[in-house]
Amino acid sequence: MIHSPESGEPSPARLPKPVQTTELRTAATVSGTAPSIEVADVTKVYSIGHITYPALRNVSLKIERGDFVSITGPSGSGKSTLLNIIGALDRPTSGRVKINGVDLKHLSDDQLARIRNRKVGFIYQSFNLIPRLTVLQNVQMPLMPRKMSQRDREKRSRELLDTVGLGRKLGKHPAQLSGGEQQRVAIARALVTKPGIVIGDEPTGNLDTKTTRQVMDYMSKVNRSGITVVIVTHNPEVSQYTPRIISVRDGAIEKDQVVPKLDLF
Amino acid sequence: MNYLTLAVNALLARKTRSALTIVGIIIGASIILAVESSSAGMSSGISSQVAKIGANVLTIRAGGAMFSSGSTSTYKLSPQDMPTLEAISHVEKAVPYYSDPVTVTLGGESLSGTLIGIDPSALSHIYSGLSLVEGGFPAASDYTSAAIGDSIAHPTSSTVQLEVNQAVQMKISGATSTNLAFIVKGILSPYGQALFNNIDQDVFISLQAAQLYFKSSYYSGIYIIVDSADNVGTVETAIKAQYGSDVSVMSSGSIASSISSITGSLSIYEEGIAAVSLFVAAIMTANTMFVTVMERTKEIGVLKAIGFRSREVLTMFLAECVLTGLVGGVGATMLGYVLAFVIGGGNSFGSPGEASSGGSTPVFTTGWMLFTLFFPVVISIGAGLYPAWRASRMNPISALKYE
Repeated sequence: MIHSPESGEPSPARLPKPVQTTELRTAATVSGTAPSIEVADVTKVYSIGHITYPALRNVSLKIERGDFVSITGPSGSGKSTLLNIIGALDRPTSGRVKINGVDLKHLSDDQLARIRNRKVGFIYQSFNLIPRLTVLQNVQMPLMPRKMSQRDREKRSRELLDTVGLGRKLGKHPAQLSGGEQQRVAIARALVTKPGIVIGDEPTGNLDTKTTRQVMDYMSKVNRSGITVVIVTHNPEVSQYTPRIISVRDGAIEKDQVVPKLDLF
Repeated sequence: MNYLTLAVNALLARKTRSALTIVGIIIGASIILAVESSSAGMSSGISSQVAKIGANVLTIRAGGAMFSSGSTSTYKLSPQDMPTLEAISHVEKAVPYYSDPVTVTLGGESLSGTLIGIDPSALSHIYSGLSLVEGGFPAASDYTSAAIGDSIAHPTSSTVQLEVNQAVQMKISGATSTNLAFIVKGILSPYGQALFNNIDQDVFISLQAAQLYFKSSYYSGIYIIVDSADNVGTVETAIKAQYGSDVSVMSSGSIASSISSITGSLSIYEEGIAAVSLFVAAIMTANTMFVTVMERTKEIGVLKAIGFRSREVLTMFLAECVLTGLVGGVGATMLGYVLAFVIGGGNSFGSPGEASSGGSTPVFTTGWMLFTLFFPVVISIGAGLYPAWRASRMNPISALKYE
């Protein structure tokens, strides 16, 4: 997956867009090969009273389908903000965001929720499973808003839990699982809607080294199946897994480099 | 898994809190059912008793108001009043009577009742449907026999049962404390309560026998049989015009309406309590929902992140309210049913000097049962609507950060 990254600099400059890109983009959308995620000149400003704080400043990037990307940077650099905007969970103050070629700008909150439900899967540092539900119920939750039969929901959830090696723990509650197991449930939940994109916000932050490797192996597996994976992390070991690393600092992209990895498997 | 199972799961996850909320609803709603059913029972009880005594019968007693014992008049009814009363237009017949509490000794047990001396032939005109199961009434000139009411002839407390031609001992309390013995001439079939008189606990002797034993020529009261129920009011006015405050006049209609208004105001008071309880239960539910929503802020954030729309979050919380209301409604219907009997037993009416017990069986209408079953659902939804709406409107990012 070698392609020319759009690089930003500490004082961001706008790059001219080639004319063919628009045509390509349209054709790509039609043929289904539009970039997974397109961020164009996105700014996010928070205001508390009279104080305004720019979390993101004119950020642009493109992530193609099947990319495996980590976003790194110090705390407060804006990487989580960027993640939330990429994941259709938040709206930029200005700029455009496109997921699979669909512009999010004029979508309502309900429509954004639909995009999240169908196109994006989230995993979090603190897992965010619902404690009162069993493992199987947790994984089924994203399928609730869908018109699916109860049997189909359960079947799909079971299969995914088998894939992550938790087929025997369907009836357990999150509190009865280890951190690594909980994160695997979260991964299964993220995948149950068959999204094209999986987004992780420091997913290994609460895990020890061994479990971190285990989870990142899973994320690699997920990526190899064709799903775009974007992970925010400040753990250099984690970013080793991803061929592309985007560094963010003070709300702008500092570096965007691709280090192709050889698939030894 | 659907919204219903999710709701069950949510309520079970906080058992104590759910239980307390549901108990609040049960208490409020059950009181409503109990009050409505017991007053419906009372009303129908009163109507049936009014029907028994006959809508065209007036009762006159000496002295002031019926219900108060402090009458200012010392007037007493006697045979001299008979012509005056029978002269009033629309009056068919005036039937005097004596009455006093009596204790009947039967098989070692003492049963309380009321001894009534009255012209036996007039009884069926006054108490409609009165009949004998065996034997007959004493004749007008008979001094030694009596017709016995069902509860005294067949007491549940004693194994001894009275039969015709049997002798029975009695003691009249009150004015003259006399031990008497009567021969059972007849036994009445079960009749029940006729306003202030419980026929089943009465012993009927002839008027002349009563005059002898009561040692008095003053009547306890006089029944006035009016030719038609429509003329009762006219006759009542005429009697009042004639006697002023020397006598008190009661028609079964006016008794019934007095009792109705008393039980009515009692009902309103009870209904007020029920309404307040239910209102408090609604507030409790609202409070519980607010706390629950706040506690589950992170969960709401997660749900939104995985793609739940606002209305789906709202539905989830409202489903919990519906379930709470339903369980409360079922419990309230069951408890209300039981409570209705308890209240009905308490709302009894009787008057001093006569051994009677009020009480009536509650009447349960489908309407009130359905109301008690489903109104709590409405209340629950109403109480939970605003908190659930707030939940659905939460910003997912800040919700996810909530600890």
